[in-house]
Amino acid sequence: MAVIGVGRFVQQRQDFEDQIARSYQVEMQARVEVARGTGGQGARGTVAQQAERRSELRDEISADTRDTALLVAAGLLAGLTGALLLFSGLISSMRRPLEELVDAAGQLAAGDRSTRVEVGGLSETATLGAAFNEMAAELEQEESRREQLDRLKDEFVLTASHELRSPLTSVQGFAELLMLDRDSLTPRQQETVEIILDNCRHLVRLLNDLLDLTRSDAGRLQVRPQPTEVAPLIEDVVRTMRAQTETDNQTITEDIPPNLPLINVEPDRIRQILVNLLTNAHEYSPEGASIWVAARAVGAEVEINVSDNGPGIPADQLERIFERFTRGEAGLTQRVGGTGLGLAISKSLVELHGGSIVAESTVGQGSTFRVRLPIAPPPALSGDGADGQGRTAAEAS
Amino acid sequence: MATVLVADDSETILLLMRTRLEMAGHTVQTASDGQEVLDHIAAGTVPDMLLLDAMMPRKSGIDALRELRNAGWEMPALIVSAHQNRDDANAPTDLEIEGYVTKPIDFDRMLEKIAELTS
Repeated sequence: MAVIGVGRFVQQRQDFEDQIARSYQVEMQARVEVARGTGGQGARGTVAQQAERRSELRDEISADTRDTALLVAAGLLAGLTGALLLFSGLISSMRRPLEELVDAAGQLAAGDRSTRVEVGGLSETATLGAAFNEMAAELEQEESRREQLDRLKDEFVLTASHELRSPLTSVQGFAELLMLDRDSLTPRQQETVEIILDNCRHLVRLLNDLLDLTRSDAGRLQVRPQPTEVAPLIEDVVRTMRAQTETDNQTITEDIPPNLPLINVEPDRIRQILVNLLTNAHEYSPEGASIWVAARAVGAEVEINVSDNGPGIPADQLERIFERFTRGEAGLTQRVGGTGLGLAISKSLVELHGGSIVAESTVGQGSTFRVRLPIAPPPALSGDGADGQGRTAAEAS
Repeated sequence: MATVLVADDSETILLLMRTRLEMAGHTVQTASDGQEVLDHIAAGTVPDMLLLDAMMPRKSGIDALRELRNAGWEMPALIVSAHQNRDDANAPTDLEIEGYVTKPIDFDRMLEKIAELTS
């Protein structure tokens, strides 16, 4: 519109210039006639007429110019409004698909690999949507492949560990059988059998750790806490450990006060943690070392301490001691049969129970591991039937 | 001392079990799978307790025990499993099982449990 207005204005201006030029021409002719004295009164009138005619023309063109300017302004305004409308239409037609894409990307990133967007809107956003869907489909496929591989790996570890246990049971069982009759063995034979047994125990630990680690990684490491007495648990572990510590003339001293409250734990798991801590104390300490196991109630928890007067752990190693595959210096040089996984697994297990584990050590003096585990809720609140013995112990606290 | 029926598909394990149990003074009968356990009992030789491997070809210890319990047999039973815990062994919760023995076997603990169950 504005353009048409401008065109018309240019045309008018041209006409105006022509008319003015013509008017001057007529006036000039008239003035020439007046000068020659041939035009008479008529020529004089024409001169005055032409001046008037030009003045009229000038008024007319200036009014036209104003109209045209207004027209141009109106045209511009209308054009701008149109453009704005068009633009906002464009924006809103892009905004919805884009918002959808942003939402979907968020869901995808959060782990919902089945997220897809509806492909629509402008061709650009539609292309974007299609590309997004393609990417999501690929991610979903990738993830399901990975999950399948993970499952296969877990299955493999479970099966391998299962299949290895039967022959291991035989090897360990028959070696133990020999040791039951140790007096009929020569010292050298006894030593040989001891080595077989040591290695069996190492293999068992390796298998157990491997299994726990696989479960832990898969988020399938679970505990089933139940009200449990502390003292029998510790005594049981210490009893099984004595066979090993006595060969090295190490002593284990228990300090467990009577009437400790029941703790809310899965007994086998706590046994596993204590075996790990005691085995570490035994293997990292020299012959004749002392090991202590103590328990005490601290607030809403029971703390179980396993200490030794072994070589201790340097500060830089102490910091990383609960990380996987961290082993003390002795673990790398001596006969220590650890896997470097025991403490990492113990920490996971303690934390699954809602407890905590810390290590303290002074080089040259020994180490202490403190495990804190939650006290079981009173039977009246927990609602399930703790056995008579358990209740007595709880009431006694 | 008790008569214990031991079932395992490994002859080596059976020999080991028999030796340790007999050293502890028990009388031992053996079976190489769950079906043999059922046949054994059907034939009239009824043990004081059962020591059954969880996984055996033909019939597992768990399946055999389920059939025995359904038939009204109430002798105590221990399930021997290579798995570390009950969850992995897929042990049924509805079945009356007196306990689990994990491979590799802690014989002292197992003999204690047997003495406890048959006293």
